[in-house]
Amino acid sequence: MSAVADSRKKVLEAIHLATGAATAGSAARNGAASAGKAAEGGAEIARGYVRRGDMTVSARHERFVERLREYDAEVVECAPEGLAAAIAAQIEASGMRKFVAPPGIPAEWYVDAARKIEGFECTLDHGLSVAEIEQAEGVLTGCFCGVADSGTIVLHHGPAEGRRVISLLPDWHLCVVRASQVVETLPEYFDRCAIREQGSEGAREQENREPEADKLPRLVTWISGPSATADIEMTRIKGVHGPRFLNVILVRD
Amino acid sequence: MSAATEHPILDPALAPPFPAAALPVLRNVQLRKNVAHAIDVIQAKRGKLVAEKTDWQALRSAAAAIKDETLANLGAYLEQFEERCTAAGGHVHWAADAADARRIILEILREEKADEVIKIKTMTSAEIQLNPFLEAAGVRAYETDLAEIILQLGRGEPSHIVVPALHVNRAQVREIFARTMGLPDLSDDPKGLTEAARNYLRRKFLDVPTAISGANFLVAETGGVAIVESEGNGRMCLTLPRTMITLAGIEKVVPRFQDLEVMLQLLARSATGERMNPYTSLWTGVVPGDGPQNFHVVLLDNGRSSILGRKTERQTLRCIRCAACMNTCPVYRQTGGHAYGSVYPGPIGAILTPQLEHLRHAQSLPFASSLCGACYEVCPVKINIPEILIDLRARVTDQERHTVGKFFDPMYVGLRVANVIFSRAWLFHFAQWAGRIGAKVVTRRDGWIHSLPSVGGKWTQTRDLRGLPKQTFHEWWKDRERKDRD
Repeated sequence: MSAVADSRKKVLEAIHLATGAATAGSAARNGAASAGKAAEGGAEIARGYVRRGDMTVSARHERFVERLREYDAEVVECAPEGLAAAIAAQIEASGMRKFVAPPGIPAEWYVDAARKIEGFECTLDHGLSVAEIEQAEGVLTGCFCGVADSGTIVLHHGPAEGRRVISLLPDWHLCVVRASQVVETLPEYFDRCAIREQGSEGAREQENREPEADKLPRLVTWISGPSATADIEMTRIKGVHGPRFLNVILVRD
Repeated sequence: MSAATEHPILDPALAPPFPAAALPVLRNVQLRKNVAHAIDVIQAKRGKLVAEKTDWQALRSAAAAIKDETLANLGAYLEQFEERCTAAGGHVHWAADAADARRIILEILREEKADEVIKIKTMTSAEIQLNPFLEAAGVRAYETDLAEIILQLGRGEPSHIVVPALHVNRAQVREIFARTMGLPDLSDDPKGLTEAARNYLRRKFLDVPTAISGANFLVAETGGVAIVESEGNGRMCLTLPRTMITLAGIEKVVPRFQDLEVMLQLLARSATGERMNPYTSLWTGVVPGDGPQNFHVVLLDNGRSSILGRKTERQTLRCIRCAACMNTCPVYRQTGGHAYGSVYPGPIGAILTPQLEHLRHAQSLPFASSLCGACYEVCPVKINIPEILIDLRARVTDQERHTVGKFFDPMYVGLRVANVIFSRAWLFHFAQWAGRIGAKVVTRRDGWIHSLPSVGGKWTQTRDLRGLPKQTFHEWWKDRERKDRD
């Protein structure tokens, strides 16, 4: 145990010597305070880069779809009342029948599929084992946010997005993105993180307020296209681990 | 006591100096072709995306500012990270050097009774030579990154930070996989090769309960860890196992969650020429029911704090390991990574490695550069690499010049003589006169010097020198004035 404390002391002392900061002892006592102060100083960093985009709503959505397609993700659009049918159509076309989904998914999403598609099975993840999830061919989730600039879908793994394992093991990921969830730039996504609760789909909007560290998401997965590698002669190959196919339904709400 | 070397030619303590290491590589046409091809692909993609990003320079400035702010208050931010990560259920360890880090990691593995680990690619673990150490202690480490498997199974060494197997072509990969995975009918089509790797690793992901990763960023504000990847092996390793150990250099921390909006826009474009890499994962401590329930972070110093203390060199620690510098470097393009004798090659390796070694090793690396400055132009965090290279050259020379071995070295003797001559005007003029006579001996009829003896020979091996003119400028000027008067 003392070897552990020794290393910590040694490293912090070396750092404080190098930066001319307070001694290790007082820094330990004032750790949070000095970091807070440092963070305040950091608020003065000149952020001259683009934070807010200036595209129109429809241009933004077009850009989002365009960028997703560049990554070989398949994208279809639908009106809110056509969502269930669109989901059913996508599932039908995929040939996949065994699905897994997060427990917070609205039931309306898969009623059509359950009715129309022979052999369709959707198991909700109430603590499924890895072996059970391995059986699934596809997964259906919502998301927290979409970023148009980079064609990125963000999952915060709330009730309608599910545990990380269920959007990782199945080979086919069908993701529902509401147009209202799509922002243009990456900084706009970070702004959204600060004001919304986790478990976005169906959650209440919080009032606009200063970001608090404990309201920031604990688990985040950003998906920008299906998994890929270019390690062999720089030839881009789709689908190494993680879902090889990503299908997106953009709901024009 | 040192661990068995993971990459014999990438150990700075054992690798030959750069000029010696580069020579065999320069003769390897296949390798140079592979390197040039890979570099051209990434460079073209990067160039296009940077041109389209109108606030690219503002992003670079912000990133450099964020990193500088972090480094100036590194102790405080690391302590904040430790506090937040621990509050979220993680365990934070501190390692003063490589041996410390290896010991800490092995202790955790022993506690878990682990005899296997799966790994997400991390340069930091190669820096501390972790794999052979674990192997010797009875723990098998399985790399899961495609390039890293190619190297692990083929017993090769990485030659690039982001695309470590870029020196290996498809036929070579086919041979390695066919032999080690028992797939004699495997084709050399990249798709088939990737499929083979996918199947080979699937069972490992599902069965091995312990994983080791690096970190692209640590977030002080939340105690979170960010990992950036393309293949999904990262997601597998950080989601399925029971125990996760994250090894991170102390310079990886950023102050706020929001700072990632700058870093992540820069990283993907610089590293792989994409607007965003396929998967980025962020997690904080332990979340019940989702992911590893036993989570450890090992913060690694290993020479970073000494770099922190130097005014010019501190910016070295801004590095986000994108490898844009080596993709643009004309020297790296010709030699690839192995010539640098370090797990960090290219321009960043030329400044980072000697410093991590406290200038005891890798002293030739700061000289492995033409100082063209291309690296500085593309660095997303604006590290002035040429400035540091020059400063390191001065420090290496200062260190060297008084050692017994170098005292009688022709170049140092010559410079000491030159120092005497240049500091006395009469001696200088005399030397010019004597030099003109001496030069006649080696100047050919065409007015050129084609070969010189001794140290001079190193220059004339590949270059010619103009013969000395009949008059110095001063003499010519005096003559002119005399002529004007007459």
